[in-house]
Amino acid sequence: MKNISKNSMIAFGLLAIMGVFPFFANSAWIAIGTTFLVFSAVAFSQDIILGRAGAFHMGHAAFFGIGAYTTAILNVHFGWPILATWAPAVIIPVVIALLVTGPIIHLRGDYLLVATIGINIVFIQILENDLFGLTGGPNGIFGIEVIKVFGFEFFEQIHMYYLAFILLGITLFIMKSLDSSKFGRAMFYINKDDIAAQSMGISIRYYKLYAFAIGAGIAGAAGSMFAVQYSAVSPEAFNVLQSIMFFTIVLVGGSASLPGVLIGTFVMFILPEIFREFETARYLVFGVAMILTMILRPRGIWPVKFGNIPSFLKKDVK
Amino acid sequence: MDIFLQQLVNGLTIGSLYALVALGYTMVYGVMKLINFAHGDLVALSAFVGLTIYTQVFGEGITSLIAVITVFMFTAAVIAVVGVLLERLAYRPLRTAPRLSAVVSALGAGLVIQNAIMLIWGPNMMIFPSNLFPSTIWNFNGIVITFTQLMILGLSSVLMVGLYFFINRTKMGTAIRATAIDQDAAKLMGINVNKIIMIIFIIGSSLGAVAGLFIGIYYRGVTFDMGWMYGLNAFVAAIIGGIGNIPGAMFGGLMLGLFNALISGYISSSWAETFTFVLLIVVLIFRPTGILGEKVAEKV
Amino acid sequence: MSEYLLEIKNVSKFFYGLTAIDALSLKVKQGQIYGIIGPNGAGKTTLFNCITGIYTPEEGEILWKGKDIKGTPPHKIAELGILRTFQTIRLFAEMSVAENIMSGRHIKSKQKWYNGLIPTPAYYKDERENWEKVGELMEFFGLSQYATTPAGDLSYGVQRKIEMARALAAEPELLILDEPAAGLNENETIELAKTIREIRERGVTIMMIEHDMEMVMSLTEYITVINFGAKISAGVPAFVQDDPIVVEAYIGSDDEDE
Repeated sequence: MKNISKNSMIAFGLLAIMGVFPFFANSAWIAIGTTFLVFSAVAFSQDIILGRAGAFHMGHAAFFGIGAYTTAILNVHFGWPILATWAPAVIIPVVIALLVTGPIIHLRGDYLLVATIGINIVFIQILENDLFGLTGGPNGIFGIEVIKVFGFEFFEQIHMYYLAFILLGITLFIMKSLDSSKFGRAMFYINKDDIAAQSMGISIRYYKLYAFAIGAGIAGAAGSMFAVQYSAVSPEAFNVLQSIMFFTIVLVGGSASLPGVLIGTFVMFILPEIFREFETARYLVFGVAMILTMILRPRGIWPVKFGNIPSFLKKDVK
Repeated sequence: MDIFLQQLVNGLTIGSLYALVALGYTMVYGVMKLINFAHGDLVALSAFVGLTIYTQVFGEGITSLIAVITVFMFTAAVIAVVGVLLERLAYRPLRTAPRLSAVVSALGAGLVIQNAIMLIWGPNMMIFPSNLFPSTIWNFNGIVITFTQLMILGLSSVLMVGLYFFINRTKMGTAIRATAIDQDAAKLMGINVNKIIMIIFIIGSSLGAVAGLFIGIYYRGVTFDMGWMYGLNAFVAAIIGGIGNIPGAMFGGLMLGLFNALISGYISSSWAETFTFVLLIVVLIFRPTGILGEKVAEKV
Repeated sequence: MSEYLLEIKNVSKFFYGLTAIDALSLKVKQGQIYGIIGPNGAGKTTLFNCITGIYTPEEGEILWKGKDIKGTPPHKIAELGILRTFQTIRLFAEMSVAENIMSGRHIKSKQKWYNGLIPTPAYYKDERENWEKVGELMEFFGLSQYATTPAGDLSYGVQRKIEMARALAAEPELLILDEPAAGLNENETIELAKTIREIRERGVTIMMIEHDMEMVMSLTEYITVINFGAKISAGVPAFVQDDPIVVEAYIGSDDEDE
């Protein structure tokens, strides 16, 4: 409990810093901050699938992209207000995730990894080939509107920042609910020992699909926000490279660790932004850093601590 | 029928290249249970190294057997050294770590190689000289086979048959197979596992290097980031054939090459990857360990 | 309903053409402590894996309260009330002892699918009740002091207790123990026998594989002896102990060297 509460305190401290950050930053930095918040939410949703349920999933950018394209298509082609696209931007990724992962969910480890890369590649080909005449091909979709509520327009960068902040808040709330419910625990059990978990009555298929559904839903919501922030969507923002990034964030930060995933997002997405002037060499350094992090901290920068149990059970613990 | 036969030739050519790359994946996977994500980038590196050796040492415009042999030998040697270094620096320290840590390290290593290529040779496409091989073309009733294709098919076959005999008929090959089945038991039997892994990286990287050179000679244009797609296709081929299984990688590579060529010929090349993954999923649903893979019963 | 809780009828299981279990039959009565013995490699654990759904036998029937459950997946078997421990301990090593035992409460928990996203009053009540149950079990097995310790950090004997507590948390009707005394010292074994009796007093039927003959003979009420996958003898401990076929099976194997 000591470690958990310490972790939570640090996480809340970080949230507080993020909450007041826009008052001390110019709009360029607020934009980077917004991206950080959105990507953190996606990273957490990747962590539900990879870090908790233990499913080797390397196609998460597809679900992020499906959310973004749902908002873009409904808004630009069908004239829906952005607010009305939020629900479909969550539900459609969930439904697609269940449909496409259903037949492959039983695949083990690396087989699932390659199959999920496949999901992402197929998604990109559908976008680029403009399968339904809706996705705008390689150029994507431009001119997504801003959010309007009762005539008020959320057009400033700072508005997007706080919307993304709320999204991350909801995501963290879900993570906390998950961690202290039979669903989150079941994911850990099948992750740590699937045979023992099954023998305790836990259906591997159900809980892996559950993880994919929740992960895809959060990623979809983040995608919707991402589309509005940039007022455009295009295939390269959701390609396999992005999926590899989300995958790496979780493992570099620390699987199933809330502060770990935040640190991972910061290291993988924000540091490269900060070191933009080193343009050409930065990804070389980045690759070296990935290798070194894994060698020095194989379980991530901030590994998860288990022992999330009620305090009345700890009275005899010395 | 002409289209079919022509695509058969093209498919076997690209399939041989996939097979050569897939062998590198499958051998490393067989022994280390690791997807060597950097392998595709080694293939790309090979094309650039070969290009430089050829133009710097021999100068463009020279077609000679000596030049070709030298380029292949030196490039394979350079890539083999890089492959061994890769294993020493990025994978060996993680042998006892959680499996996914090594995967991240492999992804990082791929990023390093890819960006090293970009820093050295620049971000733009480079064109391979056209005269490394004679531009002879045979035309059989409309079905065209180039000298390059013939070389790819011929040399790949020789290398694959050679590897098959090396693995199955020599003492070292037996040691490699034993290590793949059970590393600890192999160690107890006096097999030097580190040496086996080094040999696997030397063979896998050299085969990848040959594939990289052929890709350059056959397609002419080479880019720093091309390794990813070749690598992924080859890895998918290895899984289709049965990962860890050497004839499986050869079979999977040829099969995927043919499949891709037929899809491109009859449907559209812009959907090639989609069909590749549909094929993969179908194979995995019916044969969860690949076409030539063995059934594994889990011990409880 | 059948008078037997569990009936194995002519069950056979093959691996790559080798016979692991050979037309085996046995019957377990409600409330029994039932022993399975035999040399290593006789097929005892394979039998348990067939009952718990990890393997599906090629032939025969496995009747649970008269209904064939052959081919039912493991998680459904647990829901029926058949829980097990493992010969090679399978705990969630990095997780705390309390969390390990909580996994047994999974099938008893009434949380709804949306409780993974959002808590409700019913969820809080359910969560509290299940943790309390975990607390009771930790007390019963003397594990309370280890509540927050990662299960993998504890000694072999303690880990065996955690496995039993985890299985019991699911309130099984049949508890299957695969070599519960393996790796335990003499005192721990005596304590284990006592615990097993107490569990039976709670109305749980017990089936166990065990190599510790002293323990099997004093604890069980009926024994089936297996060799090369087939039943070679069965009866009350006193009978089995003196059965010449059993004696020969054990002398004939170079087993029991632990």
